[in-house]
Parts: sequence; C-alpha cells; structure tokens
Amino acid sequence: MSARWTIVQGSPQHRIYRWVGWGSFVAAVLLIPLIVADVAVINIGSNSYKFTMSQLTLATSWAVAVLGVQVIVGYTGQLTLGNSFFAGVGAYLTAILVADYHWSYVSTLVVVLPITFLLGMAIGLPALRIRGLYLALVTISIAALLPSFAKLDTISIPFTGKTISELTNGSNGKDIKSISKIKSPDWIPWDGIAGFFQGIPVVGKFFGEGGLSARQEDTLYKYLIMLAIAVIAFWLVRNLLNSRVGRALQAIRDNETSAAVSGVDLALYKTLAFGVSAALAGVAGTMYAIDIGFVNSDDFGLFLAVNFVVGLVVGGVINMWGAVVGGLAIVLIPSMARSTQSVPLVKQSWLQGPVGPFVQGVLLILLTFVLPGGIVYGIRRLRARFVQVVPPELAAKGEMEEPPEDYIPLMEEPPPELSESVPD
Amino acid sequence: MDFDLLTSPELLLARIFDGLNAGAVYALVAVALVLIFKATTLINFAQGEMAMFGAFLAYIGWSEWGLPMWIAVVVAMILSALGAAAIERTLIRPFDPSDHLPLVIVTLGLLLIIGAVAGMIWKFDPRPFPELFPSGSAFRLGIANLRWYTVFTLAAAVAMMALLQFLLSRTKIGLAFRAVSSNLESSELVGIRVGPTLQFGWALAAAAGTFGAVIFVADPVRQIEPSIMLSVLIFASAAAALGGLDSLWGALVGGLIVGQVQTLLVNVFTFIPNEMALAAAVFVLLVVLVAKPSGLFGTARVERV
Amino acid sequence: MSSPLLEAAGVKAAYGQVNVLHGVDFSVNEGEVVVILGANGAGKTTTLRSISAMRLVTVEGSIKVAGTETVGKNPADVVRMGVAHVPQGRGTFPELSVEDNLHSGAYVVKDRSQIHKDIDRYFDMFPVLRERRDQLAGSLSGGEQQMLAVSRALMSRPRLLLLDEPSLGLAPLIVEQLFETLAEINRDTGMTMLVVEQNAQLALSIADRAYVLEAGQIVLSGEAEAMKTDEAVRQAYLGY
Repeated sequence: MSARWTIVQGSPQHRIYRWVGWGSFVAAVLLIPLIVADVAVINIGSNSYKFTMSQLTLATSWAVAVLGVQVIVGYTGQLTLGNSFFAGVGAYLTAILVADYHWSYVSTLVVVLPITFLLGMAIGLPALRIRGLYLALVTISIAALLPSFAKLDTISIPFTGKTISELTNGSNGKDIKSISKIKSPDWIPWDGIAGFFQGIPVVGKFFGEGGLSARQEDTLYKYLIMLAIAVIAFWLVRNLLNSRVGRALQAIRDNETSAAVSGVDLALYKTLAFGVSAALAGVAGTMYAIDIGFVNSDDFGLFLAVNFVVGLVVGGVINMWGAVVGGLAIVLIPSMARSTQSVPLVKQSWLQGPVGPFVQGVLLILLTFVLPGGIVYGIRRLRARFVQVVPPELAAKGEMEEPPEDYIPLMEEPPPELSESVPD
Repeated sequence: MDFDLLTSPELLLARIFDGLNAGAVYALVAVALVLIFKATTLINFAQGEMAMFGAFLAYIGWSEWGLPMWIAVVVAMILSALGAAAIERTLIRPFDPSDHLPLVIVTLGLLLIIGAVAGMIWKFDPRPFPELFPSGSAFRLGIANLRWYTVFTLAAAVAMMALLQFLLSRTKIGLAFRAVSSNLESSELVGIRVGPTLQFGWALAAAAGTFGAVIFVADPVRQIEPSIMLSVLIFASAAAALGGLDSLWGALVGGLIVGQVQTLLVNVFTFIPNEMALAAAVFVLLVVLVAKPSGLFGTARVERV
Repeated sequence: MSSPLLEAAGVKAAYGQVNVLHGVDFSVNEGEVVVILGANGAGKTTTLRSISAMRLVTVEGSIKVAGTETVGKNPADVVRMGVAHVPQGRGTFPELSVEDNLHSGAYVVKDRSQIHKDIDRYFDMFPVLRERRDQLAGSLSGGEQQMLAVSRALMSRPRLLLLDEPSLGLAPLIVEQLFETLAEINRDTGMTMLVVEQNAQLALSIADRAYVLEAGQIVLSGEAEAMKTDEAVRQAYLGY
C-alpha cells in the first residue's frame, strides 16, 4: 500500500503539513467554545443532541485522568483501575479547601498534587509484587472504596478536628459553587473578541450575535483555566516521558529483567510511575470540582474507574492524543446516549434506562476486537493511506516503505517459549 | 474499642451468625470466579453481573412465566450456563489466553453491558424475591439469632461445592477440565479439546454464580435490583483470593472468613464503621496477594516475568 | 513395500518469526524405533511438536500419519489419528493423581474395561506407580514422572509413540531402565516409536534407524547399527 502523497521529513512541505495540523487543533480548541458559547444542539433523525461548554470543560479534565492511566498502561504494561479513587481525593480536597477554607480553586493544586502523588506511590508499592490481572482486581476494589471512605464518620482528620464525613458532607455531596464561583476578570474583553469573530464575513454568523452574557463569560473563563491546567499537565508528562525517567520506564516495560540488570531501579521507577499517574488523576479531580462545583462521592466509584478504561481503550495508548480522544469519549458517550430518545426497533422504555454504560460496554468489546490500538491508531492508519511522511534518506533513494508500526500493544506479549532452548 | 462484644458472648454470637450468612453467598460467587480462574487464569469481572442477571431470570420465571420457584431457579441456572457458554465462544475464545489485558477489557465491557441491559429491562426499583427457605429462628440465645435462612444458605453452599466437586472428580468432562487447568499443552496431547472444555467451565461458573445470587437476593432482608451484585463481586474476589484462586473448597473457607471479617472485625473495632466492611475485604485481598498470592489452599503458580 | 506409518516431506517450522526447521524429510515404518539425534537447538523438539500440530509452531510442508495429513490440524485431532506424544519435561498433570493422569491418557478411548485393563498393565510394568496411585503426580520423582508420562501416552493405545528426550534430567540408572522398558514394549507389541534424544549412545542402542539433525536440517541418516560403529560419524555428529 502506498500513500497518495509523500512528504519528506524536514522539508518545507512537512513543516506546512505539521503547522496546518497543529494550527487547526489549536483553532478548534479556542474557537469551538466561542461558537458553542453555552449550548449547541445538533439534530440527528428525531433525536437532538446537546453539547454544552460544561461537557467540553469536563472532557479536558478526564483527558488528564486518561493520560494518568496511559502512563501506567503504556509505560509499565500493567492495567490500573484505581485512578478514580485519586480523582475523588483530588476533587474532595479542592472542594473542602475552597468551601471550608476559602482557598482559590487553582491554588488547591498545591495540596492535591503532593497528596495524590504520595497516595499513588503507596499503591505502587504493592504493585511491585502484584501484577497483571491481580493488579487490575486490587485496583478496581480500591476504586470501589471511595464512596464508603467519603462517608466515614468515625475517623477525624488531624488539624481540622472534623470527621471525614463532616468534611465531605457525607452522602449529600459537597457543594462549592454556591460558596465560591469562578468569575471572569473584567480585563478580558470578551465582547470585543466576540464582536471580532462576528464581524468576519460568511463565518461570522456562527459566532452568534451581540455581546456575551456574564454567565457565558464565566463559562469561557473557566474553560480557559481548565485548558491551561490540561496543557501544562500534558506538557509536563511529555517532557517527563522523554527524559531519563521515560526511557527507564520503557526499558522496564519491554523487559523487566534486562532493565534491572542494566541498572534501572525497578522499585523506584515503578512507584514513581504510579505516583505520577495518581497525581494526574488528582489534578483531574480538582478540574472536575472546578467544572461541576459539586462533589458527590458516588460519582467516584466503580463506574468512573471503568469509564477511565473506556477512555483508554477508545483513545488508545499509542500517544497522548489518545488521552484527548478518551477524555471526550468519557463525557460524550453517556450524554449522547441519554439524549437518544428513539432508535428504530428498540423499545422506547429501554432507552430511558442506562444506555450510556451499554454503549460503553459494546465499545470496549468492539474496539478490543477490531481496533485494539484505539481510535487514534485507526486515524493514523487511515491517514497513512493518503499522506506519508518519510525521512530524507529514504526519499533520496526513492524507496517507499510502510510507515513504521508505532502501535504499542496494550500489554507486552510474552515471547513464544522456545523449548529447544531449555538448558540441560 | 467496643468491649461489649468481648464481654457479651451473645452479641459475639449474633455477629458470627450474621457473618455466616454473608459468607456463604460470597463463597458461591467466589466459587464461580475460581472455576473460571482454574481453567483460564482469568478473573471474570462480569461474574457478579452475570449472576445478577441469572437471579433476575429466576425471578421472571417465577413472577411472569408462573414457574414454581425452585424450577425457575434451575431454569435460570441452565439459561445462564448457556449464555455463558455463548459468551465464552464468541467473546473470550478468539483471544490469546496468555494475554490478559484484552480479556480484562472484554469482561469489563460485559460488566457494563449486562448491568445496563438489566437496568433497561427491569429498571432500578427493588423488588421482593420469593422466599426460598423457611423463615424463623433455628437457634436463639438472647439477641443471638441463628435464622433458618442462614442454616439453609450454608447448607446450599456446601451442597453446591459437593456437587461441583463430584462433577469435577468423577466425570469425564470434569477430568478434562482439571487436566486443562493443570497443563494446557499436555491436555491437548491426550486428545482433550480445550475450547469446549473451557466453555464448560464458563457454563458451570455461571450456573454456580446464579445460584449464589438467587440465594443472596432471596434473603428476606434483601430485594432484587440490577446493581445488587456489584459490591458482592469484590467480597467474592477477596474470598477467592484468600482461599487460593484455584481452590473450590478454598473459596468456601475464604467466603466464610471474609463474611466473618466483615461483620466481626467491623463490630469489634468500632472505629471501623459499617461502611468499611468493603475496605476490610479489599484489605484482605491486598494482604493475601502481596504476602501469599496462592492464598490458603491454592497452588503456587509462578508468574512469568 | 507398504507406505511408512509416518512420512514427513519438506517440513519447515517456525515459532513466530524464528525459523527452526528448514525443510526436513524423514519417515518411520510400522514397528520401527527411529531416533532423531542432534544438539540443543537443532530442532528436535520442534520436529515432534510439528507432528503433533502443537500451539505456537507454524508448519509448512507435509506430515502424514498413515496417509492422513496432520499439518493444519490441532493436537486433539492428531491424538485421534493414533499418535501419542510424551513431551519434553514429561508434561504430566501435577495437580492430578497418578491414576487420574492415566485416565486422562485414555481420554480418546471409549471402552472402559480396556482402560482398567491398561491401567493394571502399566501398574504391573511400573509397580511404583501402583504404590502411588492416589498421590499427586507433582509429588513424584523425575524418574517416576517419566514412567507415568510414558504410561499415560500408552493409555491411548497409539500406533505411533513420540518421545521427547526421555532421558532429560534423570539419573543414568533410571535412564537405562527406561530405555530397556521402551525396547521391551517395542519388542512385545511392535509399537512404533520416534524418539528424540541427546544421549546418542543409549538411543542408538534401542533404535533401528537414526537421523541426525543439525541447525534445522537433516545432515545424516542411516541404520542405527552402522552409525554406532562408524568412527567418523561418531566424532563429527554424535560427540562421544
């Protein structure tokens, strides 16, 4: 199979190609909010699907969470299902500090990051001995624990003099948005920005008319904050994984024994990976609290844990774009499923049931069968049919090679046991 | 610390009785996990949901098809066995059994699908399940009350184990099942067809799980609804791990211990409130897997590095 | 002349990307004992695994047992063609009792009275197995396990017995006994055997013919008697 267009790596065309790709992503991320502003409605058949800014905002937070799971799955070859626990911890810490101690939302990260990081390392310790299936089992059990933890009324937390359930407001959930609201600062000229885009011929009408309401301004501001946190998180993880740490983790994933022999401290790097992963989940929890303004322990149980797996499988682990796709999938699948009110041949009353989990389950199985690398991998393969980027050496020789398979299998396959090599 | 419990044998006994009941149910679901683990070294995360679905089938058989209750239970067990056999054939067998991750994802998918389908069909309002066993008290000492229900649940769990033990040790397919779980390659070399044998394991597991779920929801203190087995799966996993993931009787012992840990420990130490029963189970699971992955009665398996 | 019981032609075998056999031809006639000799990694085990159509090996070429192709079948089918395989490392079922191990060997046999008769026969042949009939196979010594493995394979009343390094890890005395028993079985019942061995001297003593495998190719074949006495062959290939 050869692609329709070939682009030589490092050539001006390649640079343009990359700039167009990145440029359209950045434009989408920044302009879609202005278009959506609050709610966008798309009608498909007799169903109407609402897309809200709050969903997009939430998707950025779950993208960070999926990134956290990716770090473990992609770089240690193990499946962890416990990150929803850390997300819950992050969300509650933020909620408590904001509501009871009047911290600002973003500043709570100073507390959330180290605490979830340390908790993650603590989980990483048993993970040194527990692997594969057993680790999945233990971590999903831990994930199931959060709702009961949040309702604990006999353990009091030092420095606060309150029990956990007093701090978390038990099963009623912790309300923050009525105590502290994120307001857009006055210096951002929202109306001017909106006016600028509305003034563009032809496409201007997509940006609505007139100025933005205060609520819309706050929503957009909140989104920008979340986006900034997410971008920083992705950037930091990318740098971390490109560093010594990332190479060490890769070596461990590829072959634990030989990594250990060549001097990689297995225990250190593995617990470190779990710490980073948990901290990302914690950040996601903080972002959730910022977005929703209300934290209820039941939203951080088993189903969120499985949701992270859905995000992981839908996006795939080949690169960080998988986490972006995964974050969107976590938010959009259930909400679109809920909005689907009529499907031919399906009983109406069934569609009022838990359609979201059903679709998620089907997707998990379907993707595992047909596209185990996830959607990002699928898009890459599709793109390779049209555009091929080749290194200059190959282009000079006029060789057309298959693009390198950069699909990282979700788990390392054991090499076939060559029984011929059994020593005497 | 709640010293009442230590000074009052009645209270202690009452807690032990509570724990027996829960423990027997955990044992039955644990044995389902063990059956699949023995054959495939896979933990079926959907086992609890499959059992829940089976219990609903029994309920429907009784309430809508008008079957006598026990007949409805048997029919439900057969139906869930057939369903599990179909699942094994279509969704599990295509994957390389040594590559666990896709299989974990598939069983998680099943967990979502089965739970969701039950929720779509039967909604989430709890319904009372008919009583399977006589109510009333078998033994009473002050506040300690051993319900007949507990006695029968235990007896049913033991009977189920004995039946499974018989099937595995005295029948040809049972021999094949044990051979496959002991050495897959050699079992092929003696002519055993591995696929159908594993399918048999899934079917047996589903039937056992359905039986456990039926007994669980038929307890007059509970009602049936689609999310009833979610946390049971975790208790049962802890029980299975404690007993040794590949030991049938270990599952029974593990179930009973987890049942006791849940009620007794939680009450002896009052600083572990009721919500922490689950935490106690997770703690057991964690400690067993870290300290002794083969559990109390399991075979030590070397995990390939 | 009648066609051989086992006939392999142009067999290539690979584990994934690793090619192990590069086109080998060999045959075993009814009633014969044939050994395949060769060093570690020569492809001996792979040859047997190819015949049994075992997992992980991809085979090209043709392997016929009594005229029926085994390539592309699965091991359970090959057993039903009358092939029994004692794998390297013996492959008993450690968690099953000695008696259950024997029963499993007769998985393809329908006739229950025949099964019981055969179990008795192998208990007579290896009395130690009778003593330990209820013990788990995993608790047996290496020699006892090998006896069990051979008995289990014979339980299916095969036409062709494949033995993969039966001497591996056993004390010399036990190995000698084992080979004597194998020779006896061949003499008494005319059982056809294909044996893979590193212990060339011992294997040649019970064999009719032999092949020498080197780096996935057959480099030498002939009568066992002739090979044993040929000084040049001994030094070049057999290393003793």
